[in-house]
Amino acid sequence: MKRRLPLALVLIFGIWGILTFFLPHSVPQEIDSLFRNNTLRIMVVFALILGLSSLIRHHSEKIRRRREYYQYSWITLISLFITAVIGLFGGGLTPAHHGLLPTSIGGFSFHIATLYRYIIIPVQASMFAILAFFMASASYRAFRARNMAATVLLVAAFIVMLGSVPLSRQILDTLPGFAQFILDVPNTASKRGIAFGVGLGSIATSLKIILGIERGWLGGEK
Amino acid sequence: MPDKPAATPGTRLTFWESMLRIPRQVVYLFIALAVIVPLFAPFVIRPTPSEPVVSLYNVIDSMPLERALVLSVDYTPDIEPELHPMTIVLLRHAFARRLKVGVLCLQIPGIGLADMAINQVVEEFNSRARTPQDSLRYGVDYIFWGFQTPLLTVLTGMGEDITKVFPVDANRTRTDSLPISREIRNYNNIGMVVSIAGSSLPLSWITYAQTVFGVKIGTGITAVSAADFYPYYSKTRQFSGLLAGMKGAAEYEQLVADGYPRSTAGLRRLATERMASQTTAHAAIMLLIIIGNVAFFATRKRKVKS
Repeated sequence: MKRRLPLALVLIFGIWGILTFFLPHSVPQEIDSLFRNNTLRIMVVFALILGLSSLIRHHSEKIRRRREYYQYSWITLISLFITAVIGLFGGGLTPAHHGLLPTSIGGFSFHIATLYRYIIIPVQASMFAILAFFMASASYRAFRARNMAATVLLVAAFIVMLGSVPLSRQILDTLPGFAQFILDVPNTASKRGIAFGVGLGSIATSLKIILGIERGWLGGEK
Repeated sequence: MPDKPAATPGTRLTFWESMLRIPRQVVYLFIALAVIVPLFAPFVIRPTPSEPVVSLYNVIDSMPLERALVLSVDYTPDIEPELHPMTIVLLRHAFARRLKVGVLCLQIPGIGLADMAINQVVEEFNSRARTPQDSLRYGVDYIFWGFQTPLLTVLTGMGEDITKVFPVDANRTRTDSLPISREIRNYNNIGMVVSIAGSSLPLSWITYAQTVFGVKIGTGITAVSAADFYPYYSKTRQFSGLLAGMKGAAEYEQLVADGYPRSTAGLRRLATERMASQTTAHAAIMLLIIIGNVAFFATRKRKVKS
């Protein structure tokens, strides 16, 4: 029963999901709409609970066992708690929309928009900005025309990179057009081939899951 | 590193050998200067709009006024420098034409950025408004629906009834109480959806909104992911237009500045300003690649001879 019920549910809802694309009648469309608009949303809430509980359990365990860098787990849990409380009870998107809790003391604001603007944005932007330095260093050390394939890659990358700045038109008027040609023709041809392969593979895997041939998602044999 | 010639004690390195051994700190400093200097001493190179950018501009510019423009703001702060100028310039274009605008997010980090972009552009327009009719009013001229999940529910549900997908807006006001909701009911009232994202979300708009409901989709993506999206534009036109990276945003800014000089006069063009920095950074990286390759071949030739 523990295995048969999930398999039966996947079979029924999998086939139903496919059928609704081919049945324009109002009854199947209404049922499909109910599943998509209500059932799916309720299921997502459970996924959120599952995700949050996993996160809290993982970090609590790390702190309890004093594992390496467990101090960062404290930061994660405290940040999670504070952000959740402010987000849930601190009002709307802007400080003008008041909630149950005050989100400022004098001139000091800890509203969710303030946290986002002055913590999340600079932190994420800084992390990504560092990538530019690594990329520059890596391209200088590793981007070499060692053989024919590497040379083709190097030349194509060079043209596309040059074509993506306005300066390219000043260097050679036809350069942006050639960069566009690389993106439009060789790139599209290869990407489309990959997309067809991935698409067919996805259909095959989906069918195997719906028909119960592939059961890895059940979490092992036991 | 395999390319580094082994320095034998007592032997002097040739010029090209020393070029292969530039410390990474020097490379970092070189890139930092290439990025920072143009920010303080900017130079402007007038962008020439490319075909995918012109295509997106033309669709929005010829859209009937009773149809709305929907922006799906789905990027995170790490790629804000590239994609945020797109959101701003698309809002400017739509408001300059007095199109109704709806903004939504399919990823939570997009909410703050979308809110900032809307507030900025609305403030720009309202500070110049001479009459109350000229000013932009929330719930009448534009709406910010906020975040909703799951993806499938949003993309297909918007084809039926948007107020069911977003019962409340970003500030928890009931959407069915806002006048704009009577004008934007579903995809039939939407002229185009532009998905601005750093992930594969624009493809989901094609799969569910464009294929099933026939709504036109445009996209704004990072330059590094542009190659993944071109196949959906170049021949099939599943995307009606495409803005690739900061260059795409700068080109769109140029089109809007040329098309609506009165509405956009004196406004900062973020992407155009930032292009100076990007241009020198690209030039610096290309210079490093050239130096690396010349040094590689020069030292290899020497090794073969010896």
